[in-house]
Amino acid sequence: MISAYAESLAASLSFDRSLARRVRQEIEDHLQEVVAADATSDPLDAQRRAIANFGDPRVIAAQFAIASLGGQTRKVGATIVLVIAGVFLAMATRLTWYDLTQWAVCEATRPLGETLGLIDRAAFCFAVLSGCAGWACVGRGRTPIAFDPSYHRRLRRFLLLCTLAAGGLVASVVCDALLTVLRLSGWEFSVAFLVPLLSMALEIACASLVVIHIRDIARRTASTAALTG
Amino acid sequence: MEGEMLKGHLDMIVLAALAAGPAHGYAVIEEVKRRSGQRFDLPEGTVYPVLHRLEQAGLLVSRWVTAESGRRRRIYALTKRGGSELAGQREVWEQFSAAIDGLLGGARPRRTSA
Repeated sequence: MISAYAESLAASLSFDRSLARRVRQEIEDHLQEVVAADATSDPLDAQRRAIANFGDPRVIAAQFAIASLGGQTRKVGATIVLVIAGVFLAMATRLTWYDLTQWAVCEATRPLGETLGLIDRAAFCFAVLSGCAGWACVGRGRTPIAFDPSYHRRLRRFLLLCTLAAGGLVASVVCDALLTVLRLSGWEFSVAFLVPLLSMALEIACASLVVIHIRDIARRTASTAALTG
Repeated sequence: MEGEMLKGHLDMIVLAALAAGPAHGYAVIEEVKRRSGQRFDLPEGTVYPVLHRLEQAGLLVSRWVTAESGRRRRIYALTKRGGSELAGQREVWEQFSAAIDGLLGGARPRRTSA
């Protein structure tokens, strides 16, 4: 009976497997402890009473989901800012490498390169501003106990800002990729290609990480809203 | 004790119960009952999400241990930040309590420098 109850609580948290596993173990241990301490009745009655005292599994699952969502949003907010810093470092490394190796842009592609460079800078600045605003949106204040409308609005604002930051970052990384292709085209492949290629790979990985995190947090928010609705 | 009144102070109550030392959820509930003279009978299911939320906020840390029964058990402990938070909440509570005492007793509330 206790296992079935803990399982039903964990099933409501299936969108976060590690949380569900932890909650199942913890709740099961608690209920077993309560039953062991209850010497007044037969074990089945004690189990029934322990479960009844514990409460509706869906309501408790919702409270866990809200608490977990608060921590996750803070982590995602911080991750986005760190990832943007990582992309900036990769860009700076590549540009420094071009300067050191005096790797010039082909004259024919210079105007296109300058346009792409402008878009890149604007998109990156947009990503920085949106990412920092998103982080500030969830970085302060304790997670509320209930999934009230004001918290829901704050989460929606956070998701919007994160999506804008991801959009800016992806646009910036695409521009960087095109600029790298322009810079490398016409040269014979050598070891010197490694720095621009690796820095581009890092940028693409960073942008993908941001997109994955945002998708995950959007899914968690929807699942939590469904649990509390 | 009114349930809603208790719910509004759950964070402080749980932090205070853990001030005595690390404990698992069941022990926290028992400690609250004991120290409140059985007046605070916390709704058991709501204590665990509170522990989880306080941990997410950095006020508690937790780890798994194996109990004598062989079951895995999550033990919670106050962090330094959790201790400061509890001290802050205690101060606010004492000021509030003094003001209410003054109000109910008909005396002027004591002014504080906060």
